[in-house]
Amino acid sequence: MVDSKLRMNLMPTPPHGVELPKKPLATFRWVTTALAVALVWWSATGLDAKWSRLLEAPADMWTLGRVMFNSMEVSKIPELLSAMWESIAIAWLGTIIAAIFAVPLSFLAAENLVGKPVAWMTRQVFNLLRAIPEIILALAFIPIFGLRPMAGVLAIGVGSIGTLGKLFYEIIEGINKGPLEAADAVGASRLQRLRWGVLPQVTPEITSFLLYRFEVNIRASAVLGLVGAGGIGSDLAEALKFKDFGTAGLGLIIVVLGTICVDTISGAVRRRIVSGKKTMLDVDQEASLRVGPMSMGI
Amino acid sequence: MTTLDNGTNSTPAPTLPAKPAVSMFAIGTAIGAILLTIITAISVGFSLGEIISNFGRKNSVVEGLLNPDWGQIWSRRSRSAFIETLQLAVLGTATGATVALPLALWSTTFGNPNRALRTLVRSFNNVIRSIPDLLWALLFVTAVGIGALSGLLALFFFSIAVTTKLTSDTLDGIDMGPIEAANASGASLTQMLRSAVVPQILPSYTSFVLYNFELNLRASAVLGLVGAGGIGARIEFFRGRGDWEKLWGLVVMFFLVVFIVERISVTLRRRLI
Amino acid sequence: MKDLDLEIDDGEFVVIVGLSGAGKSTLIRAVNGLVPLTSGELNVNGNDVHSLNRTGLRELRSDVGMIFQGFNLVDRTTVLKNVLMGRLHKVPTWRTLIGKYPQADIDIAARALERVEIIEKTYTRASDLSGGQRQRVGIARALAQEPSIILADEPVASLDPPTSHVVMRYLQQISRELGITTIVNLHFLDLATAYADRIIGLRDGVLVFDGPGSKCDEAVFESIYGRSLTADDTMAKQAAL
Repeated sequence: MVDSKLRMNLMPTPPHGVELPKKPLATFRWVTTALAVALVWWSATGLDAKWSRLLEAPADMWTLGRVMFNSMEVSKIPELLSAMWESIAIAWLGTIIAAIFAVPLSFLAAENLVGKPVAWMTRQVFNLLRAIPEIILALAFIPIFGLRPMAGVLAIGVGSIGTLGKLFYEIIEGINKGPLEAADAVGASRLQRLRWGVLPQVTPEITSFLLYRFEVNIRASAVLGLVGAGGIGSDLAEALKFKDFGTAGLGLIIVVLGTICVDTISGAVRRRIVSGKKTMLDVDQEASLRVGPMSMGI
Repeated sequence: MTTLDNGTNSTPAPTLPAKPAVSMFAIGTAIGAILLTIITAISVGFSLGEIISNFGRKNSVVEGLLNPDWGQIWSRRSRSAFIETLQLAVLGTATGATVALPLALWSTTFGNPNRALRTLVRSFNNVIRSIPDLLWALLFVTAVGIGALSGLLALFFFSIAVTTKLTSDTLDGIDMGPIEAANASGASLTQMLRSAVVPQILPSYTSFVLYNFELNLRASAVLGLVGAGGIGARIEFFRGRGDWEKLWGLVVMFFLVVFIVERISVTLRRRLI
Repeated sequence: MKDLDLEIDDGEFVVIVGLSGAGKSTLIRAVNGLVPLTSGELNVNGNDVHSLNRTGLRELRSDVGMIFQGFNLVDRTTVLKNVLMGRLHKVPTWRTLIGKYPQADIDIAARALERVEIIEKTYTRASDLSGGQRQRVGIARALAQEPSIILADEPVASLDPPTSHVVMRYLQQISRELGITTIVNLHFLDLATAYADRIIGLRDGVLVFDGPGSKCDEAVFESIYGRSLTADDTMAKQAAL
């Protein structure tokens, strides 16, 4: 046999058993894992759901899907498209409104620009705003503005201030301190310091995150209509309520395609903004881009 | 005191080189953004005056917010809705995140060598991601029926979308060295993923799951608006009766809880990474 | 900083030498108030820096140009906009906010750029320049202030030897031709003796030498460094290593 020549025993059994050092105890990990398991167990046993229906759920979904496909009417497309457009419009305007508030506020939340107490206060405002879902805000705005897209625009606008503000101050805190020192050394005022020391450094990231948030907001605005705040959600809710499954299915397809379409365009613009000229990015600035999706609140 | 201007100002200022044209991309983006803002403002009938006049007017919503009814803590129905919301969020996260891990791994080049299969998984992820949480809920309520089960299924799919997306972004940036080492030692695909990839992303993945839980807690509060269980049903009930004091009492309290849970989760997440 | 009593005349080119941590940076930053004084008195052009309020401090800083070790340029904007930062104090705030600088100020920036021979890079992004070019932009920014004093904190520490000499020559030339008082921090001996009119040696915040560059021999340097010279202390020898 040829390969017998190649057989080597590089690790002969030691004459006496080798003892490994003692495994360190990972208390923190054990406690948190146990807690997580307990929590899941409590939820699974405590939730009052009709579990028997779970097995039928896939079949039910299949039936719903089939009914939707079989009764689609092409004539409904223009109406649904214009509703989707309204959703996109709500998302865009909401994002712009949020940015108008979030940009100046984020300067007040950056510890490298203002004192710690001010920064802390502003951050708590952001945290609070971030906790409230847009749809709850929409519920509050509808009685004020009526069942119209304006309620949706404001819900998205107010709802995005927190997330955008948080992201923006993180970007601002990541800037290179050199230009700020240079601005101080030439005797610049506070405003000039912001305009020439901070703004040029953060504009690309802020623009890119704004677009990202726009993508997220399209998903939010597509459901605002479920409570009557305008957009394609109203058409979907209505269609399902009156068992007009064909229209609902068509609407669903338009939501999915519309969202993917906007994502693709906005994503391309974003990539061009931040990495179109790779050389202009420092290493740490690129790192700040990687925090992306999670802080975006998808 | 010396001054600089002697010698410099007497000579004419040198001419600067010709200013380069501003990039077409920048101009295009700026014009596009402005146009989009104007068109969208017209199409939704946006008016600043309306906002100001509407907020200035007395209305029951704002009044309710100013005098929330805290008595909701003692209401048995509100409390059980509250607990249901919490359970929905926990279960939705646990089930969705479990499925998300393999889905994320199968959407990478090293985790799924088969190109066609990879494209399939990626498209599946994209479609799931483009359907919002509440829409899932509406679909399940229609097909499966009103109740917590529909809420759970909605959160399950929503969690898959979020965790898969975040995890695959992390997977894009991992160190390929250990993968090569595992392959060199003759590991199977699953062994390689388990021993070379999962340890690298585990801290981030855990942190994503926690983050997903925060999102689910928020989402589960509104599922009830379309009949998918949880506290949203109570919110919808108070809204229907125009009982804004009670509604705000419930909402403010719930979001205080969300806020606290989120702070705990953020602290845990910091510890993880 | 202990018992430091210095007087620097108009138009002098002074180099402060010392090990890192000797207090060079603190001293130079005290001159324009970037670092506050804990005690003592510091008089710049007839102003007591210590007692100036915010506005007074800005006024003073606008008359003192500063050049940094890390250049401190805004990488993402053009060379011109970086240099125009030197005009911030002289131009009305609203104009600086929208970025519409008066032609006169643009002319001053152009002259500054021409002096450091980098005018052809006017519209280049700062991030696309080499280290030496960046520092020349830094010098131009200081020059655009039309200052009576220029402070340079380790201006060549991030540059290679030939580029360092280029930058030092610009600083010397500017000081001589425009009569600007210049204070430079350095830790290389050979560079210091080659360009300084006057050398100030610091060790642990204490003045150990003050005299013309010609009187500064190796014995003096050993007293500044507190040990015998090594190849690390001169740029020429370090480069040869």
